[in-house]
Amino acid sequence: MYLALLELKAARGRFLLMGSVVVLVAALVGIVSGFTTGLGDDTISALRRLPATHLAFDRGADSDQFARSLVGEAELDGWRERDGVEAAPLGVSIARGTTDRKVEVDFAAFGVEPGSFLDPGAASGTALSAGEPSGVVVSQQLVKDGVRVGDLLTVDRLGVELEVTGTTGRSSYGHVPVAYLPVETWQRIRFATPGTRAAVAEPPHQYSAVALKAGAGADLTGADRALTTRTVTVEDAYAAAPGYTGERLTMTSIQAFLYAIAPLVVGAFFAVWTVQRRPELALLRAMGASRARLLGHTLAQAAIVVTAGAVVGAALAAALGLAVGSEVPFSLPAGALVATMATVVLVGLAGTAVTLRKVTTVDPMTMLGAGR
Amino acid sequence: MSLDLLDVTVRLGRGESRVTALSGLTVSFAPAALTALVGPSGSGKSTLLAVAGALLRPDAGRVLLNGADIAGLSPAQQARLRRERIGYVFQSGNLLSGLTALEQLLAAASVAGRSPRAVRARAIELLTEVGLGHRLRHRADQMSGGERQRIALARALLLEPDVLLVDEPTAAVDRDRAAGIVDLLAATTRRHSCVTVVATHDPVVVDAADHVVDMARLRAGADSPR
Repeated sequence: MYLALLELKAARGRFLLMGSVVVLVAALVGIVSGFTTGLGDDTISALRRLPATHLAFDRGADSDQFARSLVGEAELDGWRERDGVEAAPLGVSIARGTTDRKVEVDFAAFGVEPGSFLDPGAASGTALSAGEPSGVVVSQQLVKDGVRVGDLLTVDRLGVELEVTGTTGRSSYGHVPVAYLPVETWQRIRFATPGTRAAVAEPPHQYSAVALKAGAGADLTGADRALTTRTVTVEDAYAAAPGYTGERLTMTSIQAFLYAIAPLVVGAFFAVWTVQRRPELALLRAMGASRARLLGHTLAQAAIVVTAGAVVGAALAAALGLAVGSEVPFSLPAGALVATMATVVLVGLAGTAVTLRKVTTVDPMTMLGAGR
Repeated sequence: MSLDLLDVTVRLGRGESRVTALSGLTVSFAPAALTALVGPSGSGKSTLLAVAGALLRPDAGRVLLNGADIAGLSPAQQARLRRERIGYVFQSGNLLSGLTALEQLLAAASVAGRSPRAVRARAIELLTEVGLGHRLRHRADQMSGGERQRIALARALLLEPDVLLVDEPTAAVDRDRAAGIVDLLAATTRRHSCVTVVATHDPVVVDAADHVVDMARLRAGADSPR
């Protein structure tokens, strides 16, 4: 280690340059990771916070289930009668509205049964109530957009009026903040004809899905068969959120690309570094340094440079997260940051590994006759 | 301590470029004596040093260090022998770039598994002995060839080797400095009773040597101990 540190000090310019590249790669990986998590949260945080284990969609809806699926009273009642299952209706749709203070907002209308296990309650104001069908509880992002408890929120082009009674935590769906409202009101929004500005007299008693809290012994397959539904876990239902799969694929591809670049960059540097110092390595071998010592020496240098670079890169990524605050969908929890940087270090060291053969095969005999 | 090469043959290169560098060479180097190895370029001086210093395994013959054959050692055993018992001063390219004079010696101690802190005082003493006490913290690659050679010599002496193999130690220094280096080599050889072999063209070294081995005569089958 002493020798590795001496060399690091002696060639600090080169190692700083290399470290800077690692810093940039690590910071980029961290930033992309933050955006991956942030965008994911922005798309599915409302689904993630659903206190349900499964969602039962209409069997005919194979994709975009929240938009395509409609299940009726019969399916809901059927699920409620199954042993080991607690069921509640869930409606999901995107809407746009304007408050009486002229604040225009997009929101994801989540229709739930007041008092059911899907009812989010209220962090401030009052929760949904069956006696107040026009009441709505809005998420924090809507509060940030300027919606306040007591506002009258009119759904554009439909004329449905909602009264903001309470607020809840962060919750969004498809990058749109969520507003929770009684499922009957949701049905009035979902099944109204845009532009008519007339409430549907008696909307169909249908929902996007039936949310389930299923016990371990619940026969979901049998229920699906009997009720013509298709039940998936809530986690599997994330893919039904608009854009979620495409976003994940894009961001994960970028991350994978960066993970591929990291070992190439680090490996290329150490390959050049090793070639440049072959005379020194030959000298060390001639002085009796074992192959294991030279390997340890090289790996120690790589570990110091890559780890220091990853730490600084992580700090940059975290600082960016703090700087952007909640302005953009960026989320980088400490655990994810540590895991990401550990991966950068590992792939960086893997890049170094390809140069190790050059280190071990250096011939001490090259020291002889060098000046002859 | 003794060093004997018995009937040593070394072939270098491959295919059509393969040459016999040493052929059936037998020579003994006395303990506590400084031996000058002379001969024209290409006569095999460096190859002999490499075989004696466990850098190169001979194709035939034996190399006895204090009676133990080191010719058949594995590469790992040879490396251990080099770091524990052999000091080597190469003609050039013999320092680690970017390190100061003092760090060159401390790095050598580290390679040998010794604590740099423990040998620090002795390293400074040796560098002072070779006339570099005032340049301990100067980068070696910014020094003259002669200064670099003296650093390499101090480094080889630091761990008090049983065998000291030196390749052209005075090639890049003036006559006065050359005499100082030779005196240091001779004194070290006697103090530690080590076997010292110096490949050289310099009459100053030859004059101060206890023995002279002429490679040309040796290859012809006759040693020339003085």
